[in-house]
Amino acid sequence: MSTYSLTLTIQRYDPDRAASWFQTYTLDAGPILRFVDLFRKINVEQDATLAWASSCEHAQCGSCSVNVNGRPMLACELLVENAVELFGTTAFTIAPVSVAPVIRDLVVDWEQAYERVHRAKPYLIEPKELPPGMTEHRISPQELARYEEATRCINCFCCTEACISGNRNFIGPNAAMAGIVRMMDPREKEKEERLDLLCSEEGIYRCHTSKACSHVCPKKIDVAHFIALAKEGAF
Amino acid sequence: MGKKLQIQSTSTCDVLIVGAGGAGLRCAALLHERRPDLSIFAVTKVAHPQKSHTSTAQGGMAAVDPKDKLDHALYHMFDTWKGGDCTSDQNVVKKIVEGGWEEVQWLERKGIHFSRDEGGGISKRQFGGHTVEFGKGDALRAVFVADRTGKGIMDTAWGEALKGGSRFINSTVVTELLFSEGCCVGAVLLKAKEGEFVTVLARATVLATGGSGQVFRITTNCRNNTGDGLAVALRAGLPVMDPEAVQFHPTGIVGPGILASEALRSEGGILRNKDLEPFMERYAPKMKDLAPRDIVARAIETEIREGRGIMNPDHQTEHVWIDLRHLPDYVHEVKLKEVASFFKTYVNLDSRTQLCPVRPSNHYHMGGIPTNEHGEVLTAENVVVPGLFAVGECACASLHGFNRLGTNSLLELLVMGRCAGERVLSYLKEKQTPAPKGAGEATLALFAGYLEAQGKENVARIRQEMRELMTRKVGVFRIEAGIQEAVASLIEFKQRAAEVAISVKDMRMNQELLERWELDNLLDNAMTIAQGALMRKESRGAHFREDYPERSDEFQFHTLVSMTEFGKVGFGRRPIDMGIHDAKGEHYEQFRIMPRKY
Repeated sequence: MSTYSLTLTIQRYDPDRAASWFQTYTLDAGPILRFVDLFRKINVEQDATLAWASSCEHAQCGSCSVNVNGRPMLACELLVENAVELFGTTAFTIAPVSVAPVIRDLVVDWEQAYERVHRAKPYLIEPKELPPGMTEHRISPQELARYEEATRCINCFCCTEACISGNRNFIGPNAAMAGIVRMMDPREKEKEERLDLLCSEEGIYRCHTSKACSHVCPKKIDVAHFIALAKEGAF
Repeated sequence: MGKKLQIQSTSTCDVLIVGAGGAGLRCAALLHERRPDLSIFAVTKVAHPQKSHTSTAQGGMAAVDPKDKLDHALYHMFDTWKGGDCTSDQNVVKKIVEGGWEEVQWLERKGIHFSRDEGGGISKRQFGGHTVEFGKGDALRAVFVADRTGKGIMDTAWGEALKGGSRFINSTVVTELLFSEGCCVGAVLLKAKEGEFVTVLARATVLATGGSGQVFRITTNCRNNTGDGLAVALRAGLPVMDPEAVQFHPTGIVGPGILASEALRSEGGILRNKDLEPFMERYAPKMKDLAPRDIVARAIETEIREGRGIMNPDHQTEHVWIDLRHLPDYVHEVKLKEVASFFKTYVNLDSRTQLCPVRPSNHYHMGGIPTNEHGEVLTAENVVVPGLFAVGECACASLHGFNRLGTNSLLELLVMGRCAGERVLSYLKEKQTPAPKGAGEATLALFAGYLEAQGKENVARIRQEMRELMTRKVGVFRIEAGIQEAVASLIEFKQRAAEVAISVKDMRMNQELLERWELDNLLDNAMTIAQGALMRKESRGAHFREDYPERSDEFQFHTLVSMTEFGKVGFGRRPIDMGIHDAKGEHYEQFRIMPRKY
């Protein structure tokens, strides 16, 4: 099949009128166009006013997360033909993620979502001193391999969006993971403060282990695995 | 009609950093470490610093480990000088190369997850153009974080800036630089999310706004790299240096333009045209597919121009094939895992059984806002602009000359970020300048003009045509008549842009309005690139003129282009620093002007 006739129903929001509505666009697109390409095509051919977010457009920045037929995904790596296969339809409803307030159309206030990650302190709170006579720490590849997967997280918040534990009470899988990584990193000295947060009211025991986070992660990180390790205290 | 535009507020800080990517936040981190009392504003165009383009850098960061018995800083300086086609400034090369390992140590102490060797030390890998003993052997010089080194650096830098207390001002662009008595005293910003113009007065301002890859149709650069910082500097009467020095990576993946690494060819991948001919044999009979980047890029463009390319119907992009089908599964699954997954994700092809589409993709702009080795911005007369600094891809010191070596950009942004921070500290002691009169008037007039304009033009269409034009006429190949056509077309685009009506009048996250402003920035960048390319009647590094295919000593200088009115350019020259050569130290003869032959 050389082109698909698609129906995109996009949730819109105009801050000027505080109005929200669904708008349907029909367009023809080739099989390997991505959803960001479709948004751009709509801007060029049909509607210059549709606002949407993206930056790197190859799954390294996590700016373009949207819900496609209810599933949080990165619009930059969803090809038309894969979407048709995945959902078994050429009609797609696209809505902004709900982890942060909408500013306009599909653009959300990522700054507010990131507030959770900032609370988890995504840095070494107290870096360990270098061993005497050394200029760098030694970390074996095996030790690194225990938590390296988790460092691939791009904070696209797809996991938090999909999390059934309610993204309001729980700090969220990605923010929790930011803390867990540094519990596992031998260079972090301040483990106590980290544990306090991880075990707090908004911490890891809010997680119901649905594993939705691992299921939707665009980077294919087994997020639930890291939360499970943390629950066991197996850092 | 919307409300009358105005400056909503004025705030003050000690240091205003515009651009919160790797360079900007490395600078912020240094400032926090040395002076925890300073208030630092870090402005970013993206929604959060972690979304910066730095995060996309893949392969590695070059730095000579002083513990390494085989490698030496002088070898790295030589590679950079030679790779840049003898157009780098040697004082800058020396400073940055010598500062490299200190940055590796800083990152490591701050928690970057470098890949490790069996002994637990930091792993190193080989990269094109990096040698030992002045080209005799390959150097193991690049430290890396798997295939996401830029992300590792970005995560570390924003973590440290956050920890230090930087105030992030996200989804915000700089629209105007403010000067008082010749000193830069801050900037006017447009906070896109809130739709507000604000003035920030600062004792020092650091520009770190990144690249301008969106000037070209096919680019590895992110959507936000529209050369805003350069355009704003031009409007302030400052020059840009070497804008014509634009690097194209030979194998971008059709669609997103992202890099399909050189490793594809080093592992045995073969480039083929539409007749499936392995055409590199005709262009580089000995090295074939392993020839240097620029030669491969020109060969692919030639195939496409002569009708032996293939048109991708979805993206309307011509390309050639890279054939990986003959490589063993192990290579696909292990050695080329990342690139193989890119082909699967973005073009839905299995590199084990199918040909994959690639073409040259704009990658890096060696030129930028001219600075000295401390990151201080210089005027067209080579005089320091007090209070204004520039680092990262928007700046040009110049480390890369006319062609950048892989892994040297991450090195540069860290060392220059730190050095500029140090310079800012010594500058802060000297000055405190009051606010200028009329701040923001130019910005308000510009945006009011956009909102009031009438007509039937469309920003996205003009942008698309401009990017296509630049790719075809001022891209891998350049020729007098073609560049002149491009200049004429750019002037037409500028006129058409005036006939764009913005339908959304509300200022909050007004993508239409922001893209209209970006279009002006792109056109400014495109014009300086084209004019620089037109002036430089020779070929040097990544700048290739078909009508002047050789490098000429007549052009042994940096180009300075000024443009306060669109299309009316003024040219200047800056001499190339030969400090290492002129110091007559050991091996100084390796730093002479020599042919770039590999």
